[in-house]
Amino acid sequence: MPEHRLSTWSRRTAAAIAAAVFLLPLWFMVSGSLREPGTPPPRTPELLPWPVSVESYRDAFGLVDLARHTANSLAVAALTVPIAVLVAAWAGFAMLLLTPRARNVLVVLSFAALMVPITALLVPRLTLFRSLGVIDTWVPLIAPALLGLSPFYVLLFHWSFRRIPAELFEAARLEGMTPFRTWRRLAMPLVRPVTAAVALLAFIASWSNFLEPLVYLFDSDLYTLPLGLRSLEVLDRTNYPILLAGAVVATAPVVAAFLLAQRYFLHEDRGAGWLGR
Amino acid sequence: MSVAVRQVRKEYDGVVALDSVDLEVAEGELLVVVGPSGCGKSTLLRCIAGLETVDAGSIWIKEREVTTVRPAARNVSMVFQSYALFPHLTVEDNIGFGLVVREESKRQVKEKVARAAAVTGVDRLLGRKPFQLSGGERQRVALARALVRDPDVFLLDEPLSNLDAGLRVQMRAEIRALHRSLGATMIHVTHDQVEALTLGDRIAVLDAGRVRQVGTPVEVYGRPCDLFVARFLGSPPLNVLHGDSPLAQARPGVIAGVRPEHVRLGGEGVAARVELVEVAGSDAYVHLDLGVVARVPTEERPAEGAHVRVLVRDADVHRFDAESERRL
Repeated sequence: MPEHRLSTWSRRTAAAIAAAVFLLPLWFMVSGSLREPGTPPPRTPELLPWPVSVESYRDAFGLVDLARHTANSLAVAALTVPIAVLVAAWAGFAMLLLTPRARNVLVVLSFAALMVPITALLVPRLTLFRSLGVIDTWVPLIAPALLGLSPFYVLLFHWSFRRIPAELFEAARLEGMTPFRTWRRLAMPLVRPVTAAVALLAFIASWSNFLEPLVYLFDSDLYTLPLGLRSLEVLDRTNYPILLAGAVVATAPVVAAFLLAQRYFLHEDRGAGWLGR
Repeated sequence: MSVAVRQVRKEYDGVVALDSVDLEVAEGELLVVVGPSGCGKSTLLRCIAGLETVDAGSIWIKEREVTTVRPAARNVSMVFQSYALFPHLTVEDNIGFGLVVREESKRQVKEKVARAAAVTGVDRLLGRKPFQLSGGERQRVALARALVRDPDVFLLDEPLSNLDAGLRVQMRAEIRALHRSLGATMIHVTHDQVEALTLGDRIAVLDAGRVRQVGTPVEVYGRPCDLFVARFLGSPPLNVLHGDSPLAQARPGVIAGVRPEHVRLGGEGVAARVELVEVAGSDAYVHLDLGVVARVPTEERPAEGAHVRVLVRDADVHRFDAESERRL
């Protein structure tokens, strides 16, 4: 067998193994959710149960208002993600306009902020939001997006903007572009894969956020999906297919978001990817 | 005067990039600023464009002081070394970018873009993106983007340095033709002396942030003001004759120099042995054991190891003060 065929074959095998590692748990979650409600977990891995049943989904939506919780999570994410992407991109671009020394200070501070655990922020944030009178609303869930959600997203944008040759920005300056127009018309179109990545990460962070809704929300009508899943577990702890049905409902939007964003990661948009070097 | 640079000084963290630079460019002139890497030529161009502030001195464009005026308000166009084409835009959008920013009407933008594209020969590439173009085509698009705005001054920052040798010669001629047809004021920066000598109405030689000499190519090449200019221009470089060289009359405190094309090989003169012969197309460079190089037509080149006689006419010898290195 020629050497290049062997290397192609071994690459594909490695890719298939890696894909299986990630896809099999997802599949077992789906197949488990298709078992009849109340049945115990199978003793051996089961690719497809027999008989296939969607009763668990009906029961899951009946036990807990999963539709409302899903809609709430979508609403929170729909507000959080665009704000987080915008603010992180603005902050990353603004850092580019600073002197190198000021820029380095901000990078170090961002790293320091990244090291602070979210649990350490819970009490100060709770005090702050309580004094603002916004407890039991979605404001505490969305407000961190006004800071870019995470310093990591700001740094991602900043590093991406730094990859763009300075001459492009200088050409824009000579044409009379303001910093805002340069950001919007020149910088952002050139970092589309990073924008997609940050949007996806922000969506996952918002969608899977359990701790903060638990602390800030009391009205069950405002609950997001992670709290709904928690309710499902509390109400019927041993009903394994129903729990898995809830998990499928919670996971499906994340998978869909990844598939949507994937084209930005994999498609080589040379129009934007070629940076004139 | 189209552009005047007066006593301009620029430092970066204590390192002097431009030191009291004075330069004047006449209306419609093509001035080539030439110098070795790091001499400050690109910094000078960026100061004129407004991309860098100056620490002292003033810059004037069309009799208007623009020292503190923002880049876009100076009405200059710049062609960058990497062309700086916007990768996500088509050729048409790249050329019309500045006009759109200035909120000109769509019809005007289309007309002006079509005109600039026709002048630079990129009218058939308008729908393409920069990555789909060759080096020469990118260069033409960058030129079209520069001229579409009808600027007071064109600033060209080593625009030919990324092209291969053949294309460079072609584009050099095209820039020259474009300058003639537009009658525009252009300042072209390069480190390539051949480009400087062939392209410029006048050339300014820069070294260590200082203007050494400004003049027509014939003046600067034929009567260099100091030893640096004499050695920087010319390929092979000027032969420096030391005091003990039999080719020039030794004078204390004087450095003599002769261009390789003025070192004549023939039946009279000083005896010498040929150490090496380099053929460079129509000319050959003959390295002699006297420590000088002669430039002769290839068909007249001697063989390596041959014994020849070398003659240098006194009128062809450039003499410089040994201490100041200024021309005597």
